[in-house]
Formats: sequence, C-alpha cells, structure tokens
Amino acid sequence: MTLADPVAARSTRAETAERVLDVTGLSVDIETRHGPARIIDNISLHVGKGETLGVVGESGCGKSLTMLSLVGLLPNKIAVSGGRAEFAGEDLLRLGRKALRRIRGGRIGFVFQDPMTSLNPVMRIGDQIAEPLIYHRGMSRTDARKRGAELLRLVGIPSPEERLEAFPHELSGGMRQRVMIAIGLACDPELLIADEPTTALDVTIQAQIVDLVKELRQRLGMSIVWITHDLALIAGLVDRVVVLYAGTVVEDAPVDDLYAHPLHPYTRGLLASIPKLTDAAASRLSSIGGTPPEPGRRPKGCPFAPRCPLAMPICEAQVPALEAAGGERHRVACFAVDKEKRAAA
Amino acid sequence: MPAETSIAPLGLETIPDEPATSLWRDAWRRLRANKLAVAGLVVIVLLALTAIFGPYFTPYDFLSQDLAHRNMGPTLAHWLGTDDLGRDVLSRIIYGARTAFIVAIVVTAIAVAIGVAVGAVAGFAGGWFDRIVMWLTDVTMSVPNLLLVIVINTSLKPPLAAWMDAEYQATLNPVFRNTVWIDFILVFGSMALITWPPYARLVRAQVMSVRSRPYVMAARALGLPAGTVLRRYVIPNALGPLIVAVSAGLGTAMVLESAFSFLGVGVNPPTPSWGNMIQDGLQVWQHYPHLLAAPAAVLAIATVAFSFLGDGLNDALNPRGAK
Amino acid sequence: MFRYVVSRLALWIPSVLLVLVGVYALAFYGAGDPIKLIFMHAPGDVAYDPARIEAIRHSAGLDRPFIVQFGSYLWNLLHGNFGNSLNSGRSVWSMISAAAPVSFALAVWALVVTAVTAVPLGMIAALNQNKRLDYIILGTALFLWAIPPYVAGPLLMVAIITLVPHASVPYGWGGAFDVKIILPLLVLALQPIALIVRQTRAAVIEVLSEDFVRTARAKGVPELIVSIKHILRPVLTPIVTQLGLIMITIVNGAIFVELVFGLPGLGRLTITALTNSDYPVILAITLIGSFLVMISNLLVDVLYPLLDPRAAQNQNAR
Repeated sequence: MTLADPVAARSTRAETAERVLDVTGLSVDIETRHGPARIIDNISLHVGKGETLGVVGESGCGKSLTMLSLVGLLPNKIAVSGGRAEFAGEDLLRLGRKALRRIRGGRIGFVFQDPMTSLNPVMRIGDQIAEPLIYHRGMSRTDARKRGAELLRLVGIPSPEERLEAFPHELSGGMRQRVMIAIGLACDPELLIADEPTTALDVTIQAQIVDLVKELRQRLGMSIVWITHDLALIAGLVDRVVVLYAGTVVEDAPVDDLYAHPLHPYTRGLLASIPKLTDAAASRLSSIGGTPPEPGRRPKGCPFAPRCPLAMPICEAQVPALEAAGGERHRVACFAVDKEKRAAA
Repeated sequence: MPAETSIAPLGLETIPDEPATSLWRDAWRRLRANKLAVAGLVVIVLLALTAIFGPYFTPYDFLSQDLAHRNMGPTLAHWLGTDDLGRDVLSRIIYGARTAFIVAIVVTAIAVAIGVAVGAVAGFAGGWFDRIVMWLTDVTMSVPNLLLVIVINTSLKPPLAAWMDAEYQATLNPVFRNTVWIDFILVFGSMALITWPPYARLVRAQVMSVRSRPYVMAARALGLPAGTVLRRYVIPNALGPLIVAVSAGLGTAMVLESAFSFLGVGVNPPTPSWGNMIQDGLQVWQHYPHLLAAPAAVLAIATVAFSFLGDGLNDALNPRGAK
Repeated sequence: MFRYVVSRLALWIPSVLLVLVGVYALAFYGAGDPIKLIFMHAPGDVAYDPARIEAIRHSAGLDRPFIVQFGSYLWNLLHGNFGNSLNSGRSVWSMISAAAPVSFALAVWALVVTAVTAVPLGMIAALNQNKRLDYIILGTALFLWAIPPYVAGPLLMVAIITLVPHASVPYGWGGAFDVKIILPLLVLALQPIALIVRQTRAAVIEVLSEDFVRTARAKGVPELIVSIKHILRPVLTPIVTQLGLIMITIVNGAIFVELVFGLPGLGRLTITALTNSDYPVILAITLIGSFLVMISNLLVDVLYPLLDPRAAQNQNAR
C-alpha cells in the first residue's frame, strides 16, 4: 500500500490540516497512598496525515504514558481522568475494550524501547509477526508467515525466511528492533507510535534504525509519533516537535523553528545542554539545575517555575496556557515569553 | 542562556515526607501490615508460651492415668476429654507443644549450624570443594526425606544401643542406661541430617553473590583474614533469606517430628507428641473422634501459623514492587 | 542435543551410585546383618552362639568385605533381585511388584489433578492480584501446604463422618478407577496443589510485568490468547522444574495416605517393614523412591532446553 507521493502529502498538510490524531485536554492520574496524583495535565497535541511528530522530554515527564493512554495500555493504578483523543473519527478515550483492541496493532502500530525484553523469548519471530496479521486481517498462518517474510525484507533483514524460525535471543539488538518495526507496521497502520526505539541501541545502530524509518516513511507514508529524550536525534527526522515537561506541553513548533528560535526556557535549556563539536574544548556542559517535580508534588503554577531563571510571581500562581507566539504554528506555554512579546509590541 | 539556579520550592502541595528508616524497621513495618503473618506470629508466640509455661499449669500430670474415666469426650473436668488410659488430653496436648518446640528448635539449630558453616565455606572457597559439596547436597535432597530418616533411624538404632550398652558396662554411668537419650539423639540427628542441605545452598548462594562485591574485595585487599571477612561482611548480608528459611524450617521440623512420632520412629511413648497422639487417635477415631481431632487441629494450627509467618517474612524482607 | 543428554546422564549416574552406596552402607554398617537380626529378634529362643552365627554367616557370604557384598547386591539389583524379606521370606521383588501398581496409580492421579487444578488457580490468583479472589486462593494454598496428609486425611474423614451421617468412610483399595480412590487422592494432592498454586502465581506475577506482554497487547492480540501464549507459556518452565520436589512430596505423602486409608501400596509396605525392621524391604523402597525422584530431575534437565529456547542456546554455546 503506498500513498500518492508522501513528500508532497506532507507539504500540503499544513493547508489541509487533516489530522490523523487529535488529542485535547488529556489528563492522567496515578493512585498513590494519599489519593490520586496528576501526572499528565491537560495535554493537547496532534499529528497530521503523513506527518512525523517528535515528542521530547526527560525521563518521567509522561511522554510514553501519554501515548499508552490513547490505546488503553496504561499500567495498574494509572488511569485517564479527562480529555479527548480523536482518531479516525472516534474518541479513543471513550471506546470500549474490544474496539480499542482492534485499533491496537491494526490501525495504530507500536514500536517499543527495548527489543530484547519487548519480544516474547519463547516464541519464534515468525509467530510473533504473524499474530497481528492473524487477529486483525484474519489471515491464515501460512499467509501470515509469507507476509511476515515480506515485512522482514522490508525492514532490511537478510534471509527473511530463515529468520522467521529464529528466537529473539538469536538476533542482534539492531535486528531485533527491525523486527519490532516490522511488527508495528504489519497491518499497515495509519499511525506508528515509536517509544524511544533507539535509546537501548548502540549509536551506530541508532543511525541505521533512523535511516530505516525514514525510508519506510518514504515508501509507506504513515504518520509517526517519535518519542525520545534526545533532541539531537530527531533533528533530521521529524516535522514537528512537542516538548513535554512534568506532564504538560511547554512548547509545540515545527522542528526547524524550534531549533532556530526556542522560546520556552526549558527548551532553551535542553538545546543548550547538547554538547556541540564547536564548543570550546574545556567548557563546562551547561545543565538545568534541579529536578522535575514528583507526581504528588506538582507546583501550583507553571511546573517549571522552581527551576526557571525567568520565573516571575505570576508563574508560581497560575499555569500558563499554550498560546501561539513567534509564528502561527509555534506555540509556547510561558508567561515570560508573553511578556517579551508584549514588550516587543 | 539560562544560568544555574537553585531550587526554590514555593507553593508546593504538601505531602508529608517519609521519615528515614533502616532496612529492619522497614521490614517490620511491612510485616505488621500483613494480617496473616501477624496472626501467625501471635499464634506461634502463644504456643511457645504454652510450651514453656504450660506444663506448670496443666490441670493433670500428663502421665497420670485415671482408668475409671477412659475415652471420655470433653467435659468440665477434662476440657478436651481423656484418652484410652484415662489421661487428660488437654494436658498431653500442652506437653506435646513443649516436645514440638524443643525438637523443632534443636533440630533447626543443628541444621542451620551445619548448613551455614558448610555453605559459607563452600561459597567462599569455590572450586572443587564447592562442587563436591553441592553435589552432596543435591543428592541428599533427592532422597525422599521420610524414607531417608527411616533408613537412618532403623540402621543406626541397634549399633547406637549396643554402643551405649558397652559404655555402660565400661563406665557404669547411669546416663548410658537411659534409652530415651537414644531416641532423642536419633530423632535430632536424623532430622538435622536431612534438613541442613537447603540452608547450605541458601548461604552458599548468598556468599557467592556477596563475595564478588566491591566492598568485600576491598576488605580482602586490606588484608583482612578470610574468616573475618566472612563473619563481618558476608554473613550479615545473608541474614534476610536465612531468617525466612529458618521460620519456614521451624514449621517443617515440627511437622517432621510429628510425622516421625506418627510412624513410630520419633519420640516414643509415654512422652506426648502431637504425632503419636494422632497415631493413637487414628485407631479409634470412629468411636472417639476427639482423640484425633484435638491433636490434629492443634498441629494444623501451628504449622499454618508458621507458614503464614514465613510467607509474611519473605514479603517483608524481599519486597517486590507491587503493581 | 544428543551430547547434552549424554552429558546430563554422565553427571546423573554418579549421583545414583552415591545414593546406592550411601543407603546400602547405612544398612550394612547399621543393623543390616540379617543373621544377627534373626537372633536379636528372638533373644530368648535360640542359644546365642557366636561360633554358630559365624558359620551361618560365612555360608551365606555375609562375612565378605563391604565392597564385595555391595557389588553382589548391585549385581542382583540389576537383575531385579532385591533379596528376600526378613519377615516373610518372600522375595522383595514380588512384594514390591504387588504393591507398586497401587502407589503408581495414586501418584499418577495426584499429578494429573495437581496439574489440572493448580496451574489455572495460580494464574487466576495472579491476574487478580491483591483482590479478594487472590487472597482466598493464596490463603487456601498457604493453609493446605502447611497441613500434612496424615493430618488432613483424618480431619477430612472426621468431617465426612460428622457432616454426612450415612456416608461410609472410604477405606481399602478398589482399583484405579474406583470411587474409593477419590478421597485419598485428594488428600495426597493437597500439598502438591498448594505448592504449584504458589509457584504459578509468583511466576505469572513476574511475567505480567514483562515488556513482551505489553507488546502482545499493543499488537491487539485478544486477552485470552495473551494469557495462554504469552503469559502461561513462559511460566510453565519454572513450574516444570519443580517436578522433582513434587515427586518427593508425593512419595512422602503416599506413605501416610496409604496408611490412613488402608491402601495396599508401597507406602504401607514401608510402614510394615519399618515395624518389623525388615531391612531388605526398606532398602529396596528407599532406592526406588530416590530413583523416581532422580529420574524426574533428569527428565526435567533434559526437557528444559525444549521448554526454554534461551537455555538451549546456552547449551550449544558450550
């Protein structure tokens, strides 16, 4: 299945604004000994058709949970407490379990972080790839295995027919991740959610996987959500970036715009902390002091205020709304930015 | 570019800070929260108190027979009735608690002593010594323990009796005349012989995992003698699993003792043991069910209590993230 | 694979030999001298004449060194000759072969019942972790594990008699498929069931938090299939390794169950031999029991790589 030239499709999405996924006001709570604590607070994001969205943030900011919450894969004690997630004309957050199961793997594919633990160690690769095909497409086992071999070839695994019989521990890390990608793409999903797919891999393998994904995107034209904590990695890969902090969106912009004109102090801190070849040899790595808030201890106002060099009294009192600044499609949630804008106006 | 700032925790919702605790206090807190384990602990303490102090308070001496009142059901005079020799069942059960605890504690103590020594040395020394020891423990654990005890018991009883006889002839010391000693030595000995392997394996595993840790290597690099390192660094770390094993082991030893008394290879009459009381009760339970129900129920309660406590200790000392 | 089996056997045979030597030595150096025993049994009957004893012993070959006697015992063993009972004079083999089928049927039934009830129960408990159903199942399992069969058996019998006034107590052997086998079989299976329920529950809880279960769900696999193929399948491996322990529990338990319910199996034979100090029988049964356990362990060792492909790779890598 191939779309009409996906590159062209991407460039027209700005006008058509056809969105594959549209999340508004998503909130997620966790059960603690002292009652429910909010870990994801009023997140809104969207993915256009054929677009690749990068979701960036440090560990624990809720980026994985945001995506898992869309398809009912939240762990025990964690549950959605509000919001809307439009996908294919339905609100995912209100779908029943059976309907969600049909979407999982069938129309939304997943690629997880650690391929060694994410693949069943006692099942052969071929059977694991065949599963979504059997349950979503009703294929027979032989057909599913044939398609499995095709998929393996698609993701660049040599001798695919032999590999079908292999167990996960017989493959290298990079190959396992390719298998995960094959599984994610098995049923031609409209949306592929990749949760830190390269974090557990060596740097050289990382590059290979990124290239693979780019190539697949070219050929198949699906939308992608790429979750990562590595801002440097996604530079050449995604179209837009959403920056998460402590379970809220702090900035949302096209990728080039974000790199050229980062507005939120957190984003600026992140970008500044990336070591560059052009830095002076003996310069210290800059870092953002402090740590993100724990689930039950969210600040009343902006969650970043305790660590923010630009913090003002209003920041501790109110949560800043996500508003456009510096361009239509560049949004930021920060009182300091508004102030600068108003000062400039 | 943003300079480093210090954290100013203003306006945070207050959730009380958890006070710092030590490992043991943490474990104790978890144990207290486990209702089953607490129930088990209470029962065991009660039984232990009964074992220690009970015999001083028994309404009747466990030996005294009252042939006029045999096989009576529970009455006000005899709360649990009497057995076929007119002995008060309640008193015998109380005394049986003492037997059960003595045997369980002594056997476990011996087994733990042997097991810890063997396991620690094996784990620390490694090499062929370790492999031979492991092979021995494996094989010992492969023989069904009851059969092994039966074999040991019946094989060693006559030579032991003969030896004691010879000693008596030689020294005329009345200690050697008392056949009850033979029983106890055999019971303790054979039970310890089959219960030490699990402790050895446990300690060995702990020792092996600890001995390659950096702080142990540091201690050895400082020139501390191996024995000291074993004592001060290695063994304290193995305590957690060992405690769990001991509490479970006490329960097992108690069951074993009654099993052997039941089979006639354990404590012999007239010393009361719940096991031989069950055996006696089994002959006549159709007519006098209380003779069977009383010791069986008490034994069941005791072993269940140990089981709950052991499981609770395990959860308390080795917490796994509850999901 | 063949090399693996051979290497496993090579380790296993010395273990069996060690048990043989150990148990035989105990009997030999203990009170195993049958002639002495005959006289010891009836001290007042026959004149205790050392010279005469020596003569009889010599003619029966009982004064040969340990190694020789052990060797001849081993040789006889391999030919199915366990010697003769001290009590009845019958060949031990005939006694055992009469009693074995009873115990065998009992054990097989117990294994089947355990496998069929314990594994699903353990899984159900794990899937409902920390909810009431879990506590009920886990509590019952802990409870059952702690109660030995010679306590459970009588208690159950008392319960039946008091609750069902006209029920006749099941006593005696009616064949492998007779209704009288139900209660002894249940009593025997109680402890293995308790053991396996706990093992299964613990194993399933561990597997539930594994990433690949999340992957399976993310693929949209139906929950029932997830339970069976992705959760149960990896869990079977650690459970099967418990086979040796289960065999020990069953062998031990059978002794009591047969005694309490009057079944003419190997267990009751052991007790009779014990009371009569019938060493050849005790020796033979101990060896059989140990052999059963060791065969189970060997079986598990050999089958393990089939169950867990990761272990298979470790084998090939050697």
